[in-house]
Amino acid sequence: MSIRSGRDSALTLGLPLMNQEPEERRDFLPSLARHVASLGHEVFVESGLGARMGYSDLDYLDSSGRIRIVGRDEAFAQDVVLVLRSPDDRFELMRPGATLVSMLHFPTRVERYRRLKELGVEAVSLDLIADDNHRRLVENMEAVAWNGLEAGFEALAHTYPGFRTHDRDPIRVTVMGAGMVGKHAVEAATKYGSLERARSLRDFPGVEVTVLGRNLTANERYLRERLHVTDLLVDAVFRSDASKPLVLNEWIDELPGHAVICDLSVDPYLLDASPPTVRGIEGIPQGNLEQYVFYPDDPNWRATIPHGVPALSRRTTVSCYSWPGIHPRACMHRYEEQLLPLLEKLFETEGAGRLRSDGGYLERALYGASMGAWVALSEPDEVANSRGFESRTSG
Amino acid sequence: MHREPGEKRDFLPSFVAALDAAGAEEIVVENGYGSGMDIDESAYTASSSRLVWGDLDDCLIQDAVMQVRCLDEGYFDKLGAKSILLSMLHYTTRPERVRRLAELDINAISMDGLVDDGGRRLVENLAAVSANGVGAAFGELAKTHPAFDDPGRPPLRVAILGSGAVGSHAVRAASRYGNDQLRASMVARGVSGVEVVVVDYDLTAHESYMRPLLSRTDLLIDATQRLDSTVHVIPNHWVADMPLHAVVLDLSVDPYNFSVSPPIVKGIEGLPQGTLDQFVFQTDDSAYERLDPRVSTENRRVALSCYSWPGRKPRECMEIYGAQLEPFLDVLLNKPAEAWDTSSPSLYERALARAELGRWLEARTG
Repeated sequence: MSIRSGRDSALTLGLPLMNQEPEERRDFLPSLARHVASLGHEVFVESGLGARMGYSDLDYLDSSGRIRIVGRDEAFAQDVVLVLRSPDDRFELMRPGATLVSMLHFPTRVERYRRLKELGVEAVSLDLIADDNHRRLVENMEAVAWNGLEAGFEALAHTYPGFRTHDRDPIRVTVMGAGMVGKHAVEAATKYGSLERARSLRDFPGVEVTVLGRNLTANERYLRERLHVTDLLVDAVFRSDASKPLVLNEWIDELPGHAVICDLSVDPYLLDASPPTVRGIEGIPQGNLEQYVFYPDDPNWRATIPHGVPALSRRTTVSCYSWPGIHPRACMHRYEEQLLPLLEKLFETEGAGRLRSDGGYLERALYGASMGAWVALSEPDEVANSRGFESRTSG
Repeated sequence: MHREPGEKRDFLPSFVAALDAAGAEEIVVENGYGSGMDIDESAYTASSSRLVWGDLDDCLIQDAVMQVRCLDEGYFDKLGAKSILLSMLHYTTRPERVRRLAELDINAISMDGLVDDGGRRLVENLAAVSANGVGAAFGELAKTHPAFDDPGRPPLRVAILGSGAVGSHAVRAASRYGNDQLRASMVARGVSGVEVVVVDYDLTAHESYMRPLLSRTDLLIDATQRLDSTVHVIPNHWVADMPLHAVVLDLSVDPYNFSVSPPIVKGIEGLPQGTLDQFVFQTDDSAYERLDPRVSTENRRVALSCYSWPGRKPRECMEIYGAQLEPFLDVLLNKPAEAWDTSSPSLYERALARAELGRWLEARTG
C-alpha cells in the first residue's frame, strides 16, 4: 500500500524525542536531520531533541529551510517517523499509512505489532533489519562489549592494587559466552576496554582472555577452578534456559577479593514469569545509565534483586541495561552511519508499505524488518487474501 | 580465470542480475564461468539480457573488471587505462602489485579495503575464514590428539594470537570445534569442551609468558594483523615447546616475500603457504623443503594454511560477497571513479573512494 500515491512532494521525516527513563540521553543527531534534508525531504524535529547530549534546537537547523523545530504532535504526524526506542504510548499520534522506524522487537512484543496494525501504521523494526545472511545491519553490539569492559577495567583499576605494577602477571579475563557480544568482548578485553587505556598500559604485561563456551560453563568443577584465577569475569552468555543461573551466588567466593564482575547479558530478574528468568550470575544487581558500578557494600545492591535470591557473596559488579547509552553520541553516530543508506532507500520506495521482498540488497533488508514481512510470517492466510505480500522464508 | 584448480569461486547469477539492475550496459562473462561450482551457463544467461559470453581477453578490456581473487599480475597489461579493477588486492602486503597497477593507471579498488568510517570491512567473509580454517584444524587434531574424544580428557586448549576481526570469529568457531555436528556429538558423549585463550600483541612479545602457554596448547591459531609483517610473532624455536600432537593453523595468510627488503614473513615462522589445492601439511611434507632457506623449519607440527579459507565453500562465499557488493554497484557503475568523494553523504561512495588505489596511495604518502 502506498502512503503518498499520486503526491508530488517528497516524503517527510519526523524526529520526536524518546519518552524513556530520565537517564536515557540518546537521540538522533543533527547530522542525520541535515542529511535527510539534503535529499530534498522536509524534516520535523521535536523541540528539545538532543538536549541531553548538549545540542540545542538551533544545532538541528541548516540553510536548506527544510528542517523545522516543532512540537511532539507534529513530529509524530509525518510520513516516516524515526525514534530509536519504541514510542509505545505515542502510536496514536501517527497517521494511518505512515511508517514508524524504531527498535520494535516484534518477536517478543506481539502487542506492539498488533496495536500498530490496528492503527494502520506501517513499521520497520530496526532490530530486524538484516542482510540475506541474517547479519544485522543496524546494531551496536560492539558498544555493549566495549562500554561494559571499559567500566569493568575502570572498576578493576580501583580494586586491584597491582593493576599498574610492571611485575604483575597478565590480567586474567574470563568471558563466558562466545556469541556476538562475547566476540566483541574478547577484543575489548585485550585492549582494557579502551584504546586509550591500552596505549597508556602498553609497557605493562597485557591481558589474557579465556573464553568459555556452553559446555565449559556447565562444568561446575572446571568453572569454579577458573573463577579462582580470574580478575575480571564477563557474562556475555545468551542462555537457552534463562530460568537457571550459570554461576551460583556462593561460587562468587571463588573469585579473588579484588575481582570484578562485568554483566553484559543484562537479563532481568522476572520471577513471576513462567518459566521465571534469573540472572546468569546469581545475586548481582542490575544497573542503569545512572548507576552501573556497584561495590560490595553499595546500599543499592539489593534494590534490583528480588527477595529470596541469594546475594551474600559479592564482588564489585558493573551492570547496565543499556551499555551503548553510556556514550550516547558515539552510539548514535554508529546507528546513523548504518541507518542512512537504509533510510534513503525507504524514502525512495515511498515508505514501508511499498517495500518488495525481491528488491535490491537494502530493500530486501528493509522488507524483512517491515510489518509486511512480519504479517506474512505470523498471518500468512490473511496476507494471501488481502495484501499479496510474499512470505519471508528465511530469517 | 582461476589461478589454480582448487579455486572455484565466480560471482553467482544473482550478482549478474544485480549488475544489470544497477545499469551495466553489457556484462561480459568468461566462457565456463561458474562451472567450478556446477552452475550451468543457462543460469547466467537467464539472469540478464545484457549478458554476453566471451573469452578472458574479451572480459579484460571492459570498463570494469570484477574478480574476487586478484588476477595474475601478468594480465594487468591487458586492462585498459582508467578501467576499474575490483578485486581482493591486499595493498599493504603486495607492494609489487600496487606499483604495477599504479603504473598502468588502473582504477583499482581493493575489496578488502572497502570499510566504513570506523574501519570495519564492508565486504568480508571473516566468519568463513575462521569457521573453515578452524573446522579443518580440528579435523587434523582429531587424528593427532591421543584422547580427542575421550570423556576423561581435560578441555582442549586453543590459543589464538590476535583479537581483531578474524581472531574474534575464530573464538566462536574454536569454542564449537569449528563444526556444530562434532560439537553436538562431543556434548552427547560427555566429552569436555574447548578452552580458548586469546592473546594480543602486548602478550605475544613476552617470551616468558608465551612459551609456557605454547607448552599446554593443543591448537595454535595465528589470527594476527601485524603492523610490521617483517617480524615473526612466534619464532620457529618456540614451536618446539608445543605438544607433539599439537596443530598449528594459519588464518592470517600473510605470504612470504623475499623479493622485498626487509622480507615479509609469516607470523609463525616455518609454516608453508597453502592453497585451496593443499592446505594441510604433515611434518614431513615436501613443501617445507621448498621454503626459502632463510625460513627456519626445524620445529614442525601438523600445519594448516590456505590463501583463501572462504574458498573452501565457494558458493556460500560468493553469495555473501555478492550481497555485500550489491549496494556499491550504483556508484561503481554510474559515477566516474575520479568523482568519488571520501566525504560524500553516501557510505558506499565514501568506502569506494577510500579503497581506490590512487586515493589510498595519497593517504599513505600524506
